[in-house]
Amino acid sequence: MPIRIFSLPGKDLQYALNCMNICDLIAFSLCSKRTKNLVKSSNRKIHLPTIYVYENRVQFFIRERALQREDYEIERRIFQFNFHDKGAESACRNGIGVWKKEFTQNDWIAHFMSTFNHSMIHTLGIMNNTSISYLDTIKQFFPKFHKLLISGTCSREFIKIVFWKLYTIAEEVEFDRNIFDDENDKSKFLTQNFKSVTFGPLKLTLDDLLTLNIADLTINFANISEKELNRFLKLWMKGNHIFYRPKAIRLCTEDEIDISCEEVLKGIKYEDVQYNNGEDFPTFRLRRGDGKEMKVFIADNEFVFRVGQ
Amino acid sequence: MSSTEQGTSSAAPAEPTTAPESAAAPEVPESFYYVHGKDKVVHKVSAGALQHSALIHGMISNLGYTEEQAKANPFPFENIDGDILQMVVDWCNQHKGKPTPPEDTNLPKQKEKLFDLVLAVNYLEIKELLTYCCKQVAMMVKGKSPEEIREIWMIPTDAEDEAAEKEAKKRAGKEAAGETAAAAGDAK
Repeated sequence: MPIRIFSLPGKDLQYALNCMNICDLIAFSLCSKRTKNLVKSSNRKIHLPTIYVYENRVQFFIRERALQREDYEIERRIFQFNFHDKGAESACRNGIGVWKKEFTQNDWIAHFMSTFNHSMIHTLGIMNNTSISYLDTIKQFFPKFHKLLISGTCSREFIKIVFWKLYTIAEEVEFDRNIFDDENDKSKFLTQNFKSVTFGPLKLTLDDLLTLNIADLTINFANISEKELNRFLKLWMKGNHIFYRPKAIRLCTEDEIDISCEEVLKGIKYEDVQYNNGEDFPTFRLRRGDGKEMKVFIADNEFVFRVGQ
Repeated sequence: MSSTEQGTSSAAPAEPTTAPESAAAPEVPESFYYVHGKDKVVHKVSAGALQHSALIHGMISNLGYTEEQAKANPFPFENIDGDILQMVVDWCNQHKGKPTPPEDTNLPKQKEKLFDLVLAVNYLEIKELLTYCCKQVAMMVKGKSPEEIREIWMIPTDAEDEAAEKEAKKRAGKEAAGETAAAAGDAK
């Protein structure tokens, strides 16, 4: 038997909405302007809205968190939606339902962002090669986002195109391929003043580390010797009052290649520090004559360098 | 007013069972109160069960009735259907003196009465039961499409909302004009 939902007292209606999962809430928000505004005003929090762009569809992931009684946060559920040129599919139901055939991709994205009061998405993932014009459309859909992820399934050339087209509107860029044509191409990239870049695999030299201008760099997997890391640390120690932009460098070598603390820190004065949270990872503090500090973390195949606090 | 007491019927709660108490504690007889809905059928409910309802609990505290006075003056809830009040009374008795679990399977599940139950429970201020009822309302549309939700929850379309709004404005305008005319007539 149907019930007239809008006849319920406001607080009860709100509570009923709070009991609904995100998928049902979205279906409800599509009923009318009034239902959309109700969902909007319910201030339902979603976490890390993520978009994956494929050739002919956009995949939207929404994560919802719940506060447990013990007061620690856990991830509650992940909801996945596929937006096509016409219509959308929801993978969080039994089977696939197509809603709102008249909605374009742009309409869907605008509806989601506005319903959940988000001005920008967290991650934009480009999952395979698409046309340049579609990239421009995507750029229009998402004028700003936190992280740009370019899948390794894209061609090298395409990764480059995407990177140069979209890196300016992302805080952080990640791609899991070596996209450089030669040493010159690599140097040109590493000396740019990007905020945060993750990529790999790559052969690195001491010169690369010294001329690096990326504030936060991660390389999976880096090919660099312990001797070169040791020389890099020694030069950093000697370089009093010299500006060095990178604040964090994280290098991972291939799984089976362990980094030796002794070799990396040979001849360097350091202080042995442990993490405050009780984890027993070897961390070392290096102090320069000008008072600047660097923390070096070395474990198995990972070398992390962080400057200052 | 009918004085049919349902406090001891099978659907309604039985006389309060004596809870196990420590040997040292003196036995305090439980007090009972009486409520009736639109159908005037009187339900006998223990004070312990009625504590779930913030509204009735407040009334009891303020009145300070004796057993006889309570029997002679049942609380009237004319806005609540008899069968709905019966459901509420049953639930209060089942959960007397114990907290409601987050998922209470013993609660009434009659969907056709759900809407009236929400309104009654909201009026009587029974927080735990209201929580459960709202969950049930939400469950009605689980896994449904926007079109199905619109049907189940009788949601008007944008065009219907606009038409209703226009109509309401028109009515308000007419009423205001009527009041102005009446005021002018009075002044004469």
